[in-house]
Amino acid sequence: MRRLLLAAAALAAMAGAAAAQDYPTKPVTIVVPFSAGGPTDTVTRLVAEPMSKSLGQQIVVQNVAGAGGTLAAGQVARARPDGYTVLMHHIGMSTAPSLYKNLPYDPLKDLQTIGLVTDVPMTIIARKDFPPKTLEELVAYVKENKDKLTYANAGIGAASHLCGLLLMKAIGADVTTVPYQGTGPALTDLVGGQVDFMCDQTTNTTGQIKAGEVKAYAVTTKERLKSLPDLPTADEAGLPGFEVSVWHGLYVPAGTPEPVVQKLNAALQAALKDENVASRFAELGTAPVAAELATPEAHKERLSSQIELWRPIIEAAGVMAK
Amino acid sequence: MPKSVKDLLAGLAFIAFGLAFGYAALGYELGTALRMGPGYFPLVLAGILVALGIGVIVEGMLAGEGGDIGTVPWRGAALILGALVFFGYAVQGLGLAPTLFVTVFLAALASQRTGIPTAALLALALTAFCIAIFVYGLGVTLPLVGPWLPV
Amino acid sequence: MDLLSHLALGFETALSPVNVLYCFVGVLLGTMVGVLPGIGPTATIAMLLPITFNFEPVTALIMLAGIYYGAQYGGSTTAILINLPGESSSAVTAIDGYVMARKGRAGPALATAALGSFFAGTVATLILAVAAPPLARIALRFGPPEYFSLIVLGLIASIALAHGSVVKALAMIVLGLLLGMVGQDIYTGTPRFTFGFFELYSGINFVSVAVGVFGVAEILRNLEHETTREVGIRHVSNLWLTKEDFKRVAAPILRGTALGAALGILPGGGHVLSSFASYSLEKRVSRRPQEFGNGAIEGVAGPESANNAAAQTSFIPLLTLGIPAHPVMALIIGAFIIQGITPGPNVINDEPALFWGIIVSMWVGNLMLVLLNLPLIGIWVKMLTIPYNVLFPAIIAFASIGTYSINFNAFDIYAIVVLGVIGYLLVKLGCEPAPLLLGFVLGPLLEEHLRRAMIISRGDPMIFLTRPISAGLLIAAALILIVTILPSVRKKREEVFVEED
Repeated sequence: MRRLLLAAAALAAMAGAAAAQDYPTKPVTIVVPFSAGGPTDTVTRLVAEPMSKSLGQQIVVQNVAGAGGTLAAGQVARARPDGYTVLMHHIGMSTAPSLYKNLPYDPLKDLQTIGLVTDVPMTIIARKDFPPKTLEELVAYVKENKDKLTYANAGIGAASHLCGLLLMKAIGADVTTVPYQGTGPALTDLVGGQVDFMCDQTTNTTGQIKAGEVKAYAVTTKERLKSLPDLPTADEAGLPGFEVSVWHGLYVPAGTPEPVVQKLNAALQAALKDENVASRFAELGTAPVAAELATPEAHKERLSSQIELWRPIIEAAGVMAK
Repeated sequence: MPKSVKDLLAGLAFIAFGLAFGYAALGYELGTALRMGPGYFPLVLAGILVALGIGVIVEGMLAGEGGDIGTVPWRGAALILGALVFFGYAVQGLGLAPTLFVTVFLAALASQRTGIPTAALLALALTAFCIAIFVYGLGVTLPLVGPWLPV
Repeated sequence: MDLLSHLALGFETALSPVNVLYCFVGVLLGTMVGVLPGIGPTATIAMLLPITFNFEPVTALIMLAGIYYGAQYGGSTTAILINLPGESSSAVTAIDGYVMARKGRAGPALATAALGSFFAGTVATLILAVAAPPLARIALRFGPPEYFSLIVLGLIASIALAHGSVVKALAMIVLGLLLGMVGQDIYTGTPRFTFGFFELYSGINFVSVAVGVFGVAEILRNLEHETTREVGIRHVSNLWLTKEDFKRVAAPILRGTALGAALGILPGGGHVLSSFASYSLEKRVSRRPQEFGNGAIEGVAGPESANNAAAQTSFIPLLTLGIPAHPVMALIIGAFIIQGITPGPNVINDEPALFWGIIVSMWVGNLMLVLLNLPLIGIWVKMLTIPYNVLFPAIIAFASIGTYSINFNAFDIYAIVVLGVIGYLLVKLGCEPAPLLLGFVLGPLLEEHLRRAMIISRGDPMIFLTRPISAGLLIAAALILIVTILPSVRKKREEVFVEED
């Protein structure tokens, strides 16, 4: 036993002392702040496979769900800055400082960006017997009937919540929100006609749209999607400039040595060029970001601008976890 | 005086829980019955719990179960709870193998029939068994040896 | 005749050697994680998800589904043998199953669970094959008010879980409801009862509560008498059911199957209620209600059948609408997505081999489970002869790793400690843990649906009475309450005296 312990300790010491130049010498963990099987988890697992090939080490995906993703982010922010603990997070990284008072970490100071991964588009959808036929009609209808309608979201800080807030701001109405615990139940009630409309990621909505179970009005990206070619963009359908996407990015704890960051970034860049990743992303209704966005600088820029974008919107909506 | 000490204590425990939850719930926005805030539902439940706690005491007075409380295995409880706390505290830092060994060792000592050699043996066997099942069998992503150990 | 050709396609898919193999691997793994305390199907499927990347989609889904319903079988084993339910549903099985085991009747209890589950699984799979799409439509008519009323009905019916004092059982339910409130309020984001810990924002983990109030509390109870009496079970009377047993379990299995199959279809909390509802029903219709809680075999047969029927029919919303009924289903949706299949109502038409293959594989899997589990009963019962001072450290070890591996959150372990202490004290004071667990599971749902219904109705409480399904459920709840309170006031008083803990 003693010998075993000694051997184990020696092995661990070797790993710990390994220079950043040799990185990685042991499996790398990517922490996903949401449960397995969700959109973020899927994106992570798809990217992890080719990344592990270029790093020459196994990548372990660990799901640390809780507190809207802040639990995992806090855990990674406090982890050793050696590049073996990596975080995949989405747009929620930029809204957490406005949503959570006393956040135990500062997204800009305690975490180092590696690069953006993908921008998942969102769709504006409604129950199938909802009267408006186009987005323009929807805007008018919502304004007119704002006291009678309800719209769903998947919980505080969820992508659907953020998109809904932005939509309300764009329409200029304040419709009653019905929050749910996750997308599943929200979509159930929308398909069942219990609530009127919502805005959610294509990963969740494409199947329902194609089957005609929900009425789709627009996609929230600049260009139309290959998977839903008939669906206009919000910009062309009556909400000029309305654009929102669930952007995903990779992070390591601040203080991680530069060569390690470089290596992770190179692995990410290679993964985004991988054909399998591209085709799987397309099936999800999304695409890898352009190479110039998959850099630490572009990612940091996106993070800080998004923090500023969301702060006033969230404060105006009066949702804050005290 | 209630016939049953058990019922009296159980009732008091429920009342205490009710008061504690109720007090905390008062700190949250209550809203109205029509537009409930986060504190409304817990406050109502806390009130019901206090009432039920009183009900348990009254029932005990009328038709108590009788019987004394019996012994509490203080040493065993301390060792088992300590073992669990140690696991939670150390597993990420020490890694699964050493943490589990200590946890099982402490837990095993909770039994007065288990001496130190038996406990150590049991800890060794169970640690090996669990690592085989959970780490190699099911692929639990826990490091066997954690970052605290290297010098 | 459409159905026949569909089933033929299903059999062709499900019986291909690869699929049979992985179906077996799935149910075997499921049984294993079901038996191990702490680790459950959610954590297992999450961990095994990446392995299935390289499989054919239908093979992957057959295996994952197998893990899910295999774990339902395995979970009852632990509940019966060591009073540690892995899922809320098996908490009910523990009530009478564990007493049976302590009386040396672990064999019949386990056999009943296996046979009931197999029967229920077969019927529910048939329902799935014949009527999945129309049933899913019915389920969609359940909105927040209906779910609220359903849960109220469930809570009131579950007073029957108590075999001692009704007041104490009610208090345990309410305490459970309150513990369920811990965490971030989904409507405002306000963290409640979290003492400022971010780790508690998502609430207390169900597994922590189950391991604490059942597992740890039971271990501490057993350590009390360690020096004075043997804790283990010395004599085991028989492994198989007697003729009398068969007679007693037939009707409960039928009723449990029907009830479970119906509740399982409802994605908003139906499957959680199934086993509790079945237990209440059995106790109410039984001519010997006083035996419930003292090792009534009906109390194992009904809930186990209901639970397994619900496990199968809870696939209906998933397969026909692409809507997950609970976390395990959400993971399976993830598996669909990773496999490049867009989950949704089109799966049934676009991927008929997948749809029918999974359905048929469920029946195949259930058959495998019963064939796997019946011979295992002998081994499980032998496990009871393991000295208790070896068994309980093993329970602690399994429970720690299992619970920790769900979220890698140390708080889930600390929660076991806190709830273990609370559970031990309350059990010692004559309270029962099952109602607490029920309240804990249903609390968040109850509040969520109540508040959501009020939002949708713009603050008009009449919504619960003007919607016919909701009104019907509430009337049923009121009737049960009246029927329970009137005679039980007298009867329960007597029982209290008769029963020695």
